[in-house]
Amino acid sequence: MYLVADIDVEICAAKSCKLCTQYCPEANTIQYSDELGKDKGFKYGSAYVAVDRCKGCAQCVWVCDNMAKNHAIKMIMIDQLPKAALTDNITYGEKSTTAVLVSPVVG
Amino acid sequence: MSLDYVKFSSGFEKFMPKEYRDMVEHGPFGKKISVSQMGSFKEVLEEHPMCAGCAMTLFIRLAMIAFPNPEDTITVGTAGCGRLAISQAAIPFVYGNYGDQNGVASGLSRGLRLRFGDKPKDVVVMAGDGGTADIGFQQVLHSWFRKERFTTIMLDNEVYGNTGGQESGMTNRGAVLKMAPLGKKFEKMDMVQMAKVAGCAYVATVVPNNPRRVESVIKKAVLIAREVGSTYIQAYTSCNIEYAIPTDKVMEDAKNVENDRYAFSEYISDEAKQYLTERYGYKEFLQKPAAPAAAIPNKA
Repeated sequence: MYLVADIDVEICAAKSCKLCTQYCPEANTIQYSDELGKDKGFKYGSAYVAVDRCKGCAQCVWVCDNMAKNHAIKMIMIDQLPKAALTDNITYGEKSTTAVLVSPVVG
Repeated sequence: MSLDYVKFSSGFEKFMPKEYRDMVEHGPFGKKISVSQMGSFKEVLEEHPMCAGCAMTLFIRLAMIAFPNPEDTITVGTAGCGRLAISQAAIPFVYGNYGDQNGVASGLSRGLRLRFGDKPKDVVVMAGDGGTADIGFQQVLHSWFRKERFTTIMLDNEVYGNTGGQESGMTNRGAVLKMAPLGKKFEKMDMVQMAKVAGCAYVATVVPNNPRRVESVIKKAVLIAREVGSTYIQAYTSCNIEYAIPTDKVMEDAKNVENDRYAFSEYISDEAKQYLTERYGYKEFLQKPAAPAAAIPNKA
């Protein structure tokens, strides 16, 4: 098993700074969704991780802790995530994306 | 090389992979995008084999978002880590033999101007410090002296990272590396000064810990290279493997290096300032109005 980044939607949607989306070295790995936050009653959306693309470098954790000071991102073993976003389940919209969360570990 | 190539061939749409369909339908082609929208659109850069946490990857990702017209851009690279990511993008990539990337880009840029006339087609060279300052040095400098109209970006990781850690001309004096165990005995080459002497219209040094700044610098360099002359960007993109930087400390290192020896600097010629202001509406180079003179009290 290996580590991937996991974003706490409730902390993220309260701030919605989007810094992690700009500092991840991998393209289309930390995505942004309006619905993730708004579904939980927040004014803004939240970032989330497409775990099949995450290489586990934890740069986003440093950015969230030290630059944004939100402490919303943790590294978690991929089999400890009950549900996560995968590239195949992400749909692009006009200004945001939508992800159907599924179990990231098959079998 | 136009929006025509960023679409499906008739009847093939349903057979294309999801990433390709996303690129055609939600990519940046023909739209104005910026780093603030990252995570909301399909980027031109795809998955690639570069190391986890590589600052060079982040810079390449930001650069590709900053290209003013990605559908009208060709990237040129050479051996080195960078090409592993640059080639995995929905932008045509030309792989020059080691060191001849600026020679290839010179011909390409001239050919595109002959073929397409006034319609801007951008050529951007992205090569490492070894490809630019050591092995490609002669062709790089000559392309600048000839004022070839394309952008040269040096991905400066201060080491030959792809071949096990040999010192390059851009390695700092005293740096001890796996394949330079006695430490480098010479100073880091001052390529920024050389670019100015060679007549580049725009020269900038940048560190990828400020995405908006990277975006602004790349946009200016590519736009100026369309008509005014050569432009050069030198970006610090640390090698976390050869310099043993923990991946979660890569941005901390970038910040420290920026404060220490890689401060943001920007040189822009008067002609380039005028071009950006008149042609693309840049306001930052306008002469600021003189401060109002001290009020003279009316005489009674």
